[in-house]
Amino acid sequence: MTAPAVKPKAMIQDNTRCIGCRACMIACKAWNNRPADHTDFFAGPGYQNPRDRDANNYTLTTFNEIVTGAKPDWVFGRQLCMHCEHPACASACPTTALRKTELGPVVFNKDRCIGCRACMQACPFLIPKYDYENRAPLIHKCTFCADRVEAGLKPACATVCPTSAISFGDRDDMVAEAKRRIAAAPGTYIPYIYGLDEVGGTNVLHLSSVPFEQIGYVTGLPKTPMPDLTHRWLRVTPHFFGLLYVVFAALTWITHRRWRKQEDGHQGKTA
Amino acid sequence: MAMGVILAVVRYGAGIASVANINNAYPWGWWVGYGIMTMIALGGVGFTITGLAEVLGVRRYHSLLRPAVLMGLLCYAGAIIMLMVELGRPWMVWMILVSWAPTAALYEVGWCAFLYLNVLVFEFATVPLEQLGWGRLLGIMRVIYMPLMLLGVTLSHLHQSSLGTLMTLIPHKINVLWWSDLLPLLFLFSAIMAGPAMAILEYLAAARWLGFEPRMDMIASLARIEAWLVGLFVVFQIGDLVYRGAVDAMLGGTWFALSFWIEIGLGLLVPLVLLMMPEVRRSRGGLAVACSLIVAGVLLHRLNVAVVGLRVRHWETYFPSFGEVGITLGITAGAMFVFGILARILPIHEELAHTQASPRRAAAPTGALHGVPGLS
Repeated sequence: MTAPAVKPKAMIQDNTRCIGCRACMIACKAWNNRPADHTDFFAGPGYQNPRDRDANNYTLTTFNEIVTGAKPDWVFGRQLCMHCEHPACASACPTTALRKTELGPVVFNKDRCIGCRACMQACPFLIPKYDYENRAPLIHKCTFCADRVEAGLKPACATVCPTSAISFGDRDDMVAEAKRRIAAAPGTYIPYIYGLDEVGGTNVLHLSSVPFEQIGYVTGLPKTPMPDLTHRWLRVTPHFFGLLYVVFAALTWITHRRWRKQEDGHQGKTA
Repeated sequence: MAMGVILAVVRYGAGIASVANINNAYPWGWWVGYGIMTMIALGGVGFTITGLAEVLGVRRYHSLLRPAVLMGLLCYAGAIIMLMVELGRPWMVWMILVSWAPTAALYEVGWCAFLYLNVLVFEFATVPLEQLGWGRLLGIMRVIYMPLMLLGVTLSHLHQSSLGTLMTLIPHKINVLWWSDLLPLLFLFSAIMAGPAMAILEYLAAARWLGFEPRMDMIASLARIEAWLVGLFVVFQIGDLVYRGAVDAMLGGTWFALSFWIEIGLGLLVPLVLLMMPEVRRSRGGLAVACSLIVAGVLLHRLNVAVVGLRVRHWETYFPSFGEVGITLGITAGAMFVFGILARILPIHEELAHTQASPRRAAAPTGALHGVPGLS
């Protein structure tokens, strides 16, 4: 009997079911041992706090005031690592400290990190964050609770959601479920699954009642994997190395032979 | 220099945040834009002049070879020191060499730059060894010089372009004026273009402060080559923009467009016009101005790609802090200081060869070199 192939997992973040309770943020902090921050409300949308994700906040419930119909309303969104199928962060990492696992999570190995922050620069979703205040700083990002997922559990955030806004399962099943929800309630959802093929597909899928750019999501991303942009250059680099070396060697041989001939010629004349 | 050391001590003692403005939205900033990307581009003088004198075999430029290699060496050493400050965990940097990540542009840059630094050390080491009279070692080094020299030139082509590859990954962050599929080639070309400019600036500065008569015919002919390089780069860069349909962004009234036109105008067009005039190519002052502008233009190109052209989200901003600029200036000053010292105690300039037997103390102090723009 052969071992069953590993099925990648995925999560649905159904923003139409979210009530903005922030239990997912708390559960995330608890599981990942992130300290509490002292925060202040900022001159921004509603009750959202803090303003952005950082080294202590891997996920964030966003509060967006949207005019839908007569009166303004809150539409919630959630930010967390998308766990791309072809992660730009891992492709940019010069030490493979970031790695895509078979089950889906993009995981960070702190023992390999040199702190170049190329992953932060590379991520189209602006996910990896850094603790600049630390003398031995590390990259911080949502882990998809990879340790829990490997043990057959759900990620921490998915266990605490009181309104089932967060679902977790095999990615194939989750895609089917997302499509089913949109088809069942076309008035509630916009007909778009965020993450289905953004940058080549991700392991977190978002659903919403309003267009995603209105609730602070990064939109307009290509449907092709980001690492392709660099790989088409890096693929040919080793070949260029050989080619250029041979060309330069040939050039050098020709020019230096000409020198020697000239020198011989001069000596011939003077002699 | 002292300022740089003090700031670096603070950085190690209290963390990056204590001296730098780099943040979660702009993780690289001035340190990478200037301290690494520009330093390595300007260090391109090493492979450009080596390629010209050794590979293409233009013998006239042989006297520029040693200064060029030393400049390259110091620029790369400066970039490595910058890296040690800029990395969050510099004590882990050896990981690049053991944890293979061939799909990462930065991995390729790291390996190539590391190997090339060793080649530069090897190439330059012949100079002090000659002085010490270690004949046997020199004999061995002469035998393996050619393959290693070629390796250096090849490695330079690879990592200069890979620095551009690094930035092709983020088309959504870099302004359309600077993000291009062809960034690797643009970076490689501009590094080659920086080479002769750096070599001419160094030659003129050395002639002034070490007191020898510059061979203007040689410098003028190099300036002619440089004019061609600048002209071709203008055509390349503008052509790439037109091809990508970014003309609107070029002509728009934005800060990006302003920075772009400063880069193109002062960094390329003005020096191009200057270098096309034979009078300028024969005048020390004219050449110094034109070449300084080219070097500044390369600096601005790297900054535009890596810092100025980046926009993430509207509320997140970045402007380099005093600490960031201070540390880079300290490294630059240190590199110039070392160059000034070595240029006096080692036979780097052929023009000084006849006076080498009785070393003549130049009137100006070593610090005088600091005033030369672009000699970083």
